Amino acid sequence: MTTGRMPSSRQAVPQETVPGAGDWLVAPELAPNAADPVMAPVYDAAARGALALPFCAACGTPLELEQYVCDGCGASAEIGTPGREWREVPLAGTVHAVTLVHRREPDLIVTGGPYPVIDVELASGHRLILTTATPSGQVPDIGAPIEIAFRTVGAVTLPAVRFPAAASPAEAGSY
Amino acid sequence: MSVTAGPDSYALATAAVAAALADAGLTRDDVDGLLVGSSQGIREDRLSVALARRAGFGELRLVEHLEIKGATAVAMVTRAVLAIAAGMARTVICVFSDTPVGGGPAGTLYARSGGNAGVRGLERASGVLGSVPTFALLASRYLHVSGGSEADLCAVAMAARAWAVGSEQAVSRKPLDEDGYYASRMISTPLRVLDCARPVNGAVAVIVSSARPSDQPAVGIGGMGAAHPMRRRRAGAESWFGGGRRAVDDALEMAGVTRDRLDVVELYDPFSIVTLCLLEEYGFCESGQAGKFVRGGGIAPGGELPVNTGGGQLSGFYLQGMTPLAEAIIQLRGEGGDRQVAGARTALVTGIGGRVDHHEVLVLGREAA
Repeated sequence: MTTGRMPSSRQAVPQETVPGAGDWLVAPELAPNAADPVMAPVYDAAARGALALPFCAACGTPLELEQYVCDGCGASAEIGTPGREWREVPLAGTVHAVTLVHRREPDLIVTGGPYPVIDVELASGHRLILTTATPSGQVPDIGAPIEIAFRTVGAVTLPAVRFPAAASPAEAGSY
Repeated sequence: MSVTAGPDSYALATAAVAAALADAGLTRDDVDGLLVGSSQGIREDRLSVALARRAGFGELRLVEHLEIKGATAVAMVTRAVLAIAAGMARTVICVFSDTPVGGGPAGTLYARSGGNAGVRGLERASGVLGSVPTFALLASRYLHVSGGSEADLCAVAMAARAWAVGSEQAVSRKPLDEDGYYASRMISTPLRVLDCARPVNGAVAVIVSSARPSDQPAVGIGGMGAAHPMRRRRAGAESWFGGGRRAVDDALEMAGVTRDRLDVVELYDPFSIVTLCLLEEYGFCESGQAGKFVRGGGIAPGGELPVNTGGGQLSGFYLQGMTPLAEAIIQLRGEGGDRQVAGARTALVTGIGGRVDHHEVLVLGREAA
């Protein structure tokens, strides 16, 4: 399997939430460890409005984030080595599975109602389980196209889902 | 076993050891092997090989803590059989203990476990707390692919409860109808609270020995199998299910029995959706047909394939792989009381771990007296 280098389509302003206002969904204590070597490139890219994910440098297979050997060609793809190539990928995907979470753990979940969790098949071939960038009580249909946007938890910027309708020109200038 | 906080996991395990020894007519001195299993969640009292000292054992030849996520308990029996076959032990006691219910409900402990590193860190920051949202995604995908509906999940929950009504060991024994199911609290669509395992603090101990018990019906281990499918989580892949069937095929082949010879099937069912997936994965239903089979009463009392005859983890109790294992032994010994499957002689027991990534399977049989 060969995957060409993906052009990135950066957003001018990554965060859809107001700086300092806090995330709409979770408390700051759920912020990921941004220094975690497995995930740091994802968060670094997110902070500049891009989605970066790992590929096998030898054959281009999209790798799972915790995968250190390519299953496509057997090459080493260890963290921090040239065998693991981080590429900026298109901010687009489709919905693989969805759930609307009703249980809200006190103090950890700060939104007032059920919230969406979406298993996304990215155009790059990767999969990520994400929530939405902005408050939502809806889930999209399985198979529906989605876009990747960003949200900030604590000091860490994360990829998130944006429904295409929310990216209409009328609303695009509001953030 | 308790639905409220109480003794720590070592105290529960020690009590289970004593009960198992008494049941088998053995003493600690008869035991030369100890296998322990525990939940992956962070617990201050997480069971470890320290149980050997705390539970009063003497000089043991085999002591191990196994860890294959939820598949551990079933795998302990296989490990014991292999150790005995290799001459490294004669009588091995397998112990699992867990105490998820603490100062608050078990859901709180699960929601606060998992850390902030790796993929899990991103998922938790995305609102994926505990395991329910994860299995809700599996359920969402399965129902989409199979064309099923929440009526399929309801049928699984009702079948489990119908069995639990007759089980003295079950935690939830109040009869359940469709209205009761649909009225139950939604946790993460499409999973309601009655689609989720019933957490308890408790312990189970099972003794595997080369010697027959003196005054109990013997349960023999006829077949063992395992499968650890590697499903990459990628676009275009059905990464949530599939790949576990070989574990069942291997265990049945080793035991020399076919699926139609099984009297009871005890599946690891942390969520109703898992029962549907496993019925197909293990070859009891055609792909996409498990919902129809269950809605037709296929796995309920009186059905053609008695499944999770003690109420499973949904209505019985959630002690991981010990739930299906203990129920199989009870059925094969004919001690099932009101939920006893008449003439049960052959049982299938399965344990799964992770996101249905690890499968451990046993075929057990009642031995002639």
